[in-house]
Amino acid sequence: MDILYSIYEVLWFALIVLTGIALIEGYFYYHFKFYDRRWFFPVALIGFPLAAAALCRCLGLAADPVKPFLWFLASEALITLFFRHIVKGRNSLAYLLLAPAFIGLALLLVYPFIFEIYLSFHDLKLTTIMQWKNTGLLPFVGLRQYVNVFTTSPLSEVTFWALLGRTLWWTFINVFFHVTGGFALALLLNNHIRFKGFYRTLLVIPWAMPQVVAVLAMRGEFHSQYGFINIMLVKLAAAYPLLARLGVGPVQWLSNYPLTTCTLINIWLGIPFMMVVILGGLQSISSSYYDAADIDGASYLQKLRFITLPLIRPVLMPAVTLGTVWTFNNINVIYLVTGQSGGTERADILVSALYKAAFTYNRYSYSAAFAIVIFAILFFISVFYLKSFDAAKEER
Amino acid sequence: MNKEASAHRRKKTIKFLLVHLAIIAFVVICVYPLLRIFSVSIRPGDKLISTDLSLIPVGATFEAYVRLLKETLFLRWLWNSLLITVATSFIGVSLASTAAYAFSRFKFGGKKGGMILLLSTQMIPAGMLILPLFLMIMKLGLMNTYLGMIIAYSVSSLPFSIWILKGYYDTIPRSLEEAALVDGTSQLGAFYRIILPLSTPALSIAFLFNFTTAWNEYLVARVVLFSAKQYTWTLGLFELQGQYITQWGMFAAGSMLVTIPVLMVFLYSSKWLISGLTLGSVKG
Repeated sequence: MDILYSIYEVLWFALIVLTGIALIEGYFYYHFKFYDRRWFFPVALIGFPLAAAALCRCLGLAADPVKPFLWFLASEALITLFFRHIVKGRNSLAYLLLAPAFIGLALLLVYPFIFEIYLSFHDLKLTTIMQWKNTGLLPFVGLRQYVNVFTTSPLSEVTFWALLGRTLWWTFINVFFHVTGGFALALLLNNHIRFKGFYRTLLVIPWAMPQVVAVLAMRGEFHSQYGFINIMLVKLAAAYPLLARLGVGPVQWLSNYPLTTCTLINIWLGIPFMMVVILGGLQSISSSYYDAADIDGASYLQKLRFITLPLIRPVLMPAVTLGTVWTFNNINVIYLVTGQSGGTERADILVSALYKAAFTYNRYSYSAAFAIVIFAILFFISVFYLKSFDAAKEER
Repeated sequence: MNKEASAHRRKKTIKFLLVHLAIIAFVVICVYPLLRIFSVSIRPGDKLISTDLSLIPVGATFEAYVRLLKETLFLRWLWNSLLITVATSFIGVSLASTAAYAFSRFKFGGKKGGMILLLSTQMIPAGMLILPLFLMIMKLGLMNTYLGMIIAYSVSSLPFSIWILKGYYDTIPRSLEEAALVDGTSQLGAFYRIILPLSTPALSIAFLFNFTTAWNEYLVARVVLFSAKQYTWTLGLFELQGQYITQWGMFAAGSMLVTIPVLMVFLYSSKWLISGLTLGSVKG
């Protein structure tokens, strides 16, 4: 019975989505096709705001329909003027095809982004959330949340600056080993050897596994008593007393070295993707370059430096950029390994601290400002990368 | 002459042997953790926590699987995940297919701006938007519901899907549509009758990408869903691996039941996935 109800719930939602899309298409079709009719303005300015206000009333988004009606009336006036005098029905099919996707993006990506900016200038927390939920009103605090981001801890101890340094270090180490590991594997696989397809299939398993499973399983391997790694260290210490005297033995990975543990796990997770990308790039390099180099007596390292690296760069740069962004933003590994209640702050990076500040400490507005700051940092990094990528293009 | 030839052949053999050994070492590092999960999942009750490294332990049993299916809501968790994920993927691919067609075939004002907007959404940290989405879902009264999850997930992969599909549509010759147009079909009719059928591989990749992204998601689920009956499998599995008390056997069994189908799907579609990735990277 619960199963049937859940199907019913989702089908009902699908019906709502289809209805919404139909309304959107109808709305735009009206504006594209009938912009030059005499009745265009009156129908638009009366019908649509009334319908929109009624919809808000039904959804419970507004207790009083008068205010939203006025808002819709004003925006509809601008929209009708735009379609009447500027668009004039041009490119109607393209825009009709684009409308559902872009309205979805506007509702679920752009609006949340703007809402977050709004939050960062106000004060939403546990003591004010009920007021906001009932009335939509929040106390305005100006830039105080931003000042707090730089001067107070998002959790209980760690500071923004420590998190920033740690995040940059985490990103650099991971991307470095992803690229070098992926490159080494790609070079190994880029030979005429048997079982190549078989090897490649097995090598992408860390990437193919659901990340939650992969991370939690690897976390188990770092268990202080029963994890594979400490089991091996204990065996080594028992078999080779010299190593034991040098300090080889079981390590309290999760409690003493949480960030190192997360880094090792993430390196293991990320190498396969880079291997696949680089291998694709290697396989697209014509062998005639290497043949010519062989005739000139070039060594393996010379071929690697002067042929392989330059030619693989167009494939590598986007992958490194993506990898940097993904690693910088990687909440999953950090949170899944250390994020339980009472978990350490010593492995947190900017984004995992953000997640905890928002949902463990319920500091909503602080977290909004924190998120904007992180976005600005990432934006700066991305612009830098894209500029260097363009510079690389101009070199050719 | 023969001596030199045999020496060269021996050197080459040694080289390939070393290559194989190096690759096998990497393969073991990649595969062993998965085998360890399987090993834990078939250990008898009194050896759930053990320093035994053998892959097939003494007294192997499927007891953990039976307990998982009987004592937990595991099947319900899988069902919840499947429902949310399929709905999300269907919405995502549907919206992306029409938008990508517009980008591929039409010239219109705002086209370049639209593409830049799509790219820039990829730069927004995923964790950044969880908070406002959480608050929006709370205000709509959709906490702890499928709808809340579908809303949170449904456009997260949309920009990437549009990008993939546009790249694929660009490779389809326009002459196919022009032939249909000559026959009296409308542009929209040409899209449905010619472009969509030809784009099955790309649509499958986009669907698979949407599916795996939503299927594996954990962080949004953790803040939207809070009753065990509504959990997705990611939340359920995390519950089984607590910080101090891990139900290792059931955790491992659940991991295997989730991972094996995913690996099978991945292997089946790996050619498409990899070619899709390289196609995207070359164009990008």
